[in-house]
Amino acid sequence: MNLKNEKTAIILAGLLIGVISALLVVFGNPANMGFCIACFIRDTAGALGLHQAAAVQYIRPEIIGLVIGSCVIALVKKEFIPRGGSSPMTRFALGFFVMIGCLMFLGCPYRMVLRIAGGDMNAVIGLIGFIAGILVGVFFLNRGFTLKRTYSLPKIESAIFPTAQIVLLILLITAPAFIFFTAVDGGPGAKHAAILISLGAGLIVGILAQRTRLCMVGGIRDVILFREWKLFFGFAAILVAAFITNLITGHFSLGFIDQPIAITDGLWNFLGMLTVGFGCVLLGGCPLRQLILAGEGNTDSAITILGLFAGAAIAHNFAMASSSKGPTFNGKIGVIIGIIVILIIAVTNTKKEKLA
Amino acid sequence: MIYIATFYSHFGAIRFKKKCIADGLSASVMPVPRSLSSSCGTCVTFTVSDEYYLDENINEEIEQIVCVEENKYRQIYQASDS
Repeated sequence: MNLKNEKTAIILAGLLIGVISALLVVFGNPANMGFCIACFIRDTAGALGLHQAAAVQYIRPEIIGLVIGSCVIALVKKEFIPRGGSSPMTRFALGFFVMIGCLMFLGCPYRMVLRIAGGDMNAVIGLIGFIAGILVGVFFLNRGFTLKRTYSLPKIESAIFPTAQIVLLILLITAPAFIFFTAVDGGPGAKHAAILISLGAGLIVGILAQRTRLCMVGGIRDVILFREWKLFFGFAAILVAAFITNLITGHFSLGFIDQPIAITDGLWNFLGMLTVGFGCVLLGGCPLRQLILAGEGNTDSAITILGLFAGAAIAHNFAMASSSKGPTFNGKIGVIIGIIVILIIAVTNTKKEKLA
Repeated sequence: MIYIATFYSHFGAIRFKKKCIADGLSASVMPVPRSLSSSCGTCVTFTVSDEYYLDENINEEIEQIVCVEENKYRQIYQASDS
């Protein structure tokens, strides 16, 4: 595939993903949340009892679909490569604080795009913070930041995470008593499309994202590093397609106030997404990309997702997650600690030699 | 001839590019082409007048090196444990 074909493929994939994401809201997902990797991991953590926020507990089939879709297409295309060992605990910590940032803003970079497409201007402030975080991350990349190389691993090691998704799917379908589900009308966790629709959407997006390497962080990072716009076009295509679909389906509402599952505090929207952008550049990809890489056999990404899970659980157990009422004091402390920790990780993993 | 080297990290790519330029080669960094890898990392494309001499003490950050031929890549190096 040459560069022009790559661009065409990623734009078409982005358009399709944007439409699917907006339609999931029509089919029952929370507003401006056709997809949100952070929110859906948080919901799944709640369903497993890792936190007790009753409003956000549901095993989200979209996450399962993303991993399985990526895994299956990677196996078919012989791109399933068991690997890992690149600073796993550091990645866990980065994943943890990326989630703290996401739950301050109330969304991952993917949902940030969908929120903008739904007219939520608070997400534009988040986007500015996100870009600022990426710029800080690129500063360290250009000065020699590295989490060291990956190594080959036995297949069984890389099969565990995708297999766990099958287990989650079984738990969702059989709904045993020990799994927590938000009560009807009990909050965002109760709003979801039918399982098959959500799972199908996840599978399609997982396959498309694996084939195109779509990444919200990578798009902006590549523009800054290489003046290469290809991945960014995928990002933009999702925005345009979701925006048009929202207009057609009547899910567009422009403004800052009364936006669904959002805070209006500009400073903390900015700082929340700055944390996310900074952390994700060091990780090499956004939460969506981590799921796709985990499906391809990358256990470092699987560890990162476990960090996201832990971050989600702690955020709700320690009252750090924002709500429509606004950010919490604990959340602000969490984001500040997150920025400091990510900064320490960046500095301590940066080689002394100046590279660019 | 044009070659592309892929790396385990962005750091490795930038360091290799610097070495190429110090050796008088034309080199630049760019995103890894999709047809070469499902990784979204950084690669280095560099030009050598003859066949590339593969240093036995090759940079441990290098994952693979390919020679760019018409409509395809010919692999000339693959790290043993990747």
